[in-house]
Amino acid sequence: MNNLAGSVKTKLPLTIVMLLAGVFMIIPFLWMISTSFQSPSEVFVKWLPSRLDLRSHIRIWTGDYSFVSYYWNSVKVSVLGTAGAVFMSALAAYGFARIEFKGRDSLFLVYLSMMMIPPQVIFVPKFVIFNWMNIYNTHWALILPGMFSIFGVFMLRQFFMSIPKEITESAFMDGAGHIKIFFRLILPLAKPALATFAIIDFSWHWNDYENALVFLTSPELYTIPLGLQNFILENNIDYNGMMAASSAAIIPMIVIFLIGQKYIIQGISSSAVKG
Amino acid sequence: MKRRSWLQKQGWMGYAFILPNMLGILLFFILPALFSFVLMFTNYQFANPDVSFTGLDNFKRLFQDENFYSSIKYTAIFLLSVPVSLILAFAVALILNRSVYLKGLLRGMFFLPYISSGVAVAFVWMLLFQPTHGPINEALRWVGMVSPPGWFADPDAAMYAIDVVQIWFMMGYNMIIYLAALQEISTEQLEAAKIDGAKTGTITWKIIWPLVSPTTFLLLITGLIMTMKSFSLIQAITQGGPSGSTTILSLYVYKTAFSYYEMGYASTISWFLFAVIMLITVIQWIGQKRWVHY
Repeated sequence: MNNLAGSVKTKLPLTIVMLLAGVFMIIPFLWMISTSFQSPSEVFVKWLPSRLDLRSHIRIWTGDYSFVSYYWNSVKVSVLGTAGAVFMSALAAYGFARIEFKGRDSLFLVYLSMMMIPPQVIFVPKFVIFNWMNIYNTHWALILPGMFSIFGVFMLRQFFMSIPKEITESAFMDGAGHIKIFFRLILPLAKPALATFAIIDFSWHWNDYENALVFLTSPELYTIPLGLQNFILENNIDYNGMMAASSAAIIPMIVIFLIGQKYIIQGISSSAVKG
Repeated sequence: MKRRSWLQKQGWMGYAFILPNMLGILLFFILPALFSFVLMFTNYQFANPDVSFTGLDNFKRLFQDENFYSSIKYTAIFLLSVPVSLILAFAVALILNRSVYLKGLLRGMFFLPYISSGVAVAFVWMLLFQPTHGPINEALRWVGMVSPPGWFADPDAAMYAIDVVQIWFMMGYNMIIYLAALQEISTEQLEAAKIDGAKTGTITWKIIWPLVSPTTFLLLITGLIMTMKSFSLIQAITQGGPSGSTTILSLYVYKTAFSYYEMGYASTISWFLFAVIMLITVIQWIGQKRWVHY
């Protein structure tokens, strides 16, 4: 391993080259944060603000396009959607992974095939159905469908199947039912997988622009992506404000990523390489 | 046989566990899909109560629709981002896998764009690509380009600028998958080749590249499908403009449905999108048999 890994002579220059490339990858974020603290006259002129100008940040949190409300809406939609998706996907995944019943495999095939349907196919009917269910232009139009994740069922099923059968078997012999096994044994064992899925699903909800765009029309219901869009439509030359608003939207995701990096990367690589 | 029997006990519980999820999938995925399939053969327009079946009219219209053909062209340009980001990701993964310090930090830096996707990133890129004073064009002028393209404002350049953003966004994801695949390659095999005097280039192209080919194939297929479906990035940056030059198929569906309210026709276009995705998936099934068991 060490032989092939190369010596300091090759490793050091490559590290420097890769660091430069890495910085290049995150320049958009650095530029965004820097611009958000600049004064209007410094945009595009300087790389760094000459002094920290907080006006843009203050404005987006207090002005007409208050991010307080966008944030609250996003948190509400993302937390409820994710909680529902994790719980219901885990239930279904357990059913598919640990119980044998008639029609299980064909049912799973139906799930598989639904993954091929592009969201654009079902937008129009969802629009009609939501109108009919009376949840069009409410947060439920994002939360309810968000609670059902085909990807989540796949990912968690994969993980549940990797839990040794002996563990659940002996519990079953001791008289525990499926419900008890699921809550007492499987869920605690599956914590890493549940965390991975929760993080991925949360980021999906947090960034969801398509559904919000189609199903929300009242500004007071806007989630962050729509709030951002709205802000930019109305202030399209206020570059500092735009970047302050973008920072407000992105930074929570970066923080979540830094905390859950291990889970996210493991989850993504295992789901793709095995799947 | 006896060992597995416990799995079959209380089999009815299987339905109970799946039911909550199944109901939601039925209501929010399967029913809408069936509904959309029917709409494809109608002239349904939102807010217009007169709906009738028009047979294959929507299909005739589709194949005479110039906007449809140009959206296919723009989708094809958009799909170029998939192989490019794959090649870059492979190169980065190769280097990160063995020959750097600070691997964790570097991996995080390349992956960050993927997690922070969304409208916010779109707006940052809008400013970076700003034609007159944006940093990208400033840099191009600095290296001697007299009149750099207007990017998102230029119909000939907009789609390529979108490609740049898409490559930036997808690369980290592909890299993570490649890193996982590279870790599965046995070190002995590589060591042996090295002892036999093989050069790094030979090892890379003759040994590593074929070994990760199933991964490349999988990433190519899933990348194509994901890119076909993607919508947010372009909608946020250009809304399909300037003069329709970034209206890929998924945006064309959206525009037809929610700007022109032609829900029936929009369904037809969306099922064309599905047909392409289906085709790619079939290629995957066939290809997997050839590629994975080499």
